[in-house]
Amino acid sequence: MNPAAQQVWNEASARANAAYQAGRRRFTVDPITRLEGHGKIEVFLDDKGDVERAYLQVPELRGFEVFCLGRPAEDMPQITSRICGVCPTAHHMAATKTLDDLYKVEPAAAGRKIRELVYNTFMLEDHALHVFVLGGPDFIVGPEAPPAQRNILGVIQKVGLEAGKKVISTRRRLRELIAYFGGKVVHPVLGLPGGVSKPLKPEDLPGFKQLAQDGVEFALWTLEVIRQIVLGNPDYVKLITSEAYTHKTCYMGMVDEQNKVNFYDGKLRVVDCNGKEVCKFTAQQYLDYVAEHVEPWSYMKFTFLKPRGWKGFVEGPDTSIYSVAPLARLNAADGMATPKAQAAYQEFYQTLGGKPVHHTLANHWARVIEMIYAAERMQELINDPEITSPEVRRLPTSVPKVGMGVVEAPRGTLFHHYQTDERGLIKMANLVVATANNAARIAMSVERAAKGLIKGGHVTEGLLNKIEMAFRAYDPCLGCATHSLPGHLPLRVNIYDRQRNLVRQLAQD
Amino acid sequence: MAMLAGPAKSEFVSDLTPPPTAPVQKLLVLGLGNDVLTDDAIGLHVARRLQVELADQPAIEVRETAEMGLALLDYICGYGAAVIVDSVQTGQAPAGFVHELDAAALKQLSGRTPHFVGLGETLALGRQLGLAMPEQVKVFAVEVSDPFTLGTQMTPALQAALPGIMERIAAAVRAVAAKPMP
Repeated sequence: MNPAAQQVWNEASARANAAYQAGRRRFTVDPITRLEGHGKIEVFLDDKGDVERAYLQVPELRGFEVFCLGRPAEDMPQITSRICGVCPTAHHMAATKTLDDLYKVEPAAAGRKIRELVYNTFMLEDHALHVFVLGGPDFIVGPEAPPAQRNILGVIQKVGLEAGKKVISTRRRLRELIAYFGGKVVHPVLGLPGGVSKPLKPEDLPGFKQLAQDGVEFALWTLEVIRQIVLGNPDYVKLITSEAYTHKTCYMGMVDEQNKVNFYDGKLRVVDCNGKEVCKFTAQQYLDYVAEHVEPWSYMKFTFLKPRGWKGFVEGPDTSIYSVAPLARLNAADGMATPKAQAAYQEFYQTLGGKPVHHTLANHWARVIEMIYAAERMQELINDPEITSPEVRRLPTSVPKVGMGVVEAPRGTLFHHYQTDERGLIKMANLVVATANNAARIAMSVERAAKGLIKGGHVTEGLLNKIEMAFRAYDPCLGCATHSLPGHLPLRVNIYDRQRNLVRQLAQD
Repeated sequence: MAMLAGPAKSEFVSDLTPPPTAPVQKLLVLGLGNDVLTDDAIGLHVARRLQVELADQPAIEVRETAEMGLALLDYICGYGAAVIVDSVQTGQAPAGFVHELDAAALKQLSGRTPHFVGLGETLALGRQLGLAMPEQVKVFAVEVSDPFTLGTQMTPALQAALPGIMERIAAAVRAVAAKPMP
């Protein structure tokens, strides 16, 4: 790095740290917005003790924007990938694309391909984690099974030891590919404005080609597991299609120019509950189409489709509520861009009675279809002759001011937005994370589950379990406490009466 | 980008080789944490200081990571013994208090920690899959004040407690290292 630029960089970082520390001493922490970093369900009862409203509290990162003030924008891929231990690569990529926009630089072709290769590797690995460790235990082991078995160990018992080894080793190899380009999986130094930091050496190509091939087989095998264990069981199918887990909202996902699902780049497309396209827009137009509604007395924010206006927590053809993530992406697209994924996509809609599918639990199946696409796309990119080109970066020349970037994280659309001064130091930074886009629909799911199980102030057994199932299908981003190994989330349900007094607290460790 | 000064060990996972099926006679000290989440950096701070202090011990390897969950399997695999250092918030002890747990008794600590809650299952999973999991695992979970606000400096309470934490953990690590490994 150029020494003069490096000096500016270091000085700016030091000033930002000092200003942040000075500012923090004056801060008072608002107890209402204090979040413990784990899932919290808030249930508000009416006078009769029935459920009036329920929400899943999505933790926000305290002090994020203040932390970024004055820092070089080039730090954002590392900063944002550090704040989330689960989706670091998604933040890294969204931030990198935002830097492209900030500096008005088109990434070098080989750099773009490497980014997309790494990104699809991450999607495959993260989706595999979710299927086998997080969501899978519900379905592969069974939602009625004792909690002690509903975890990865129970899954391995069901699918067999060899299969279990395959899951672990495939994930490990995928993470090694990410580490190859970025140095670290959690805070990779990979994305730069205009490209990436490291090319793919031709001598390393064969190993990665093998990995991509194995990835496709692994994804297809996962689909077979789902077919046999889940779809072959009528009780599961009944659960998937039940009213309790069905909502008719709009759906948003990123698509390429043929309206096929793409995780790394494209336009955001929204369809209504009948599958009709409502709008299609770029990252730069995001704030024209997405707005935030703040619920009174809970400080919770819910995104909605701005052109339609906030209409409340309602479903149907006119709703302004939309959802994101695998099911939404498949609903919002016209198909998958690779052949095996496309075949799986067609089977999905044929089985579930056409497009769009409104069953939240179908997210688990949609996730596996996306695994197949991610692996096939890895294969396409690794076999592209340009992937080993040393020309992986185009240097920016414009003066920075505003940048916006969007990617499809495993959990849904992720948006980054920065404003800087002419030296590229952050003046404003805002993120709209995937789960924020699902917050309204999650609230509806949680509320429906709660309404069925809390009547006249009396809480039925199994409430925690049903609520957890309602929102776990969305694979929500609950901050750092979520993705640990036991087969349950550290969940807390707070029940308030009409006067907002806390009357009951249910907890599950 | 260096967020914290001090020796930082590379986390680059090695080339595409299969994991070991028999453990090596070495002790792994693994610091877990996040250096931009205020007190959540404690595990990393301890690891970095230990790396310097234990540099003369070839049978002890000190590493750090911000990864969690299933990824820990890759870090722990292959060592005869492991000491994990992490943050926890039980609310039942002052900041800087070091909770000491044997891996076998992991569930007894009902605090909110992002990293080691899954450790018991990680070990069980590794063993079930025939991977070389350490026979002895000790966890030191340091009680923290604020592991959720963005910041590169720990709270004053925790900074003040750091020397005491180091003394306790360094002594324990040497004791574990002195025990013969199976």
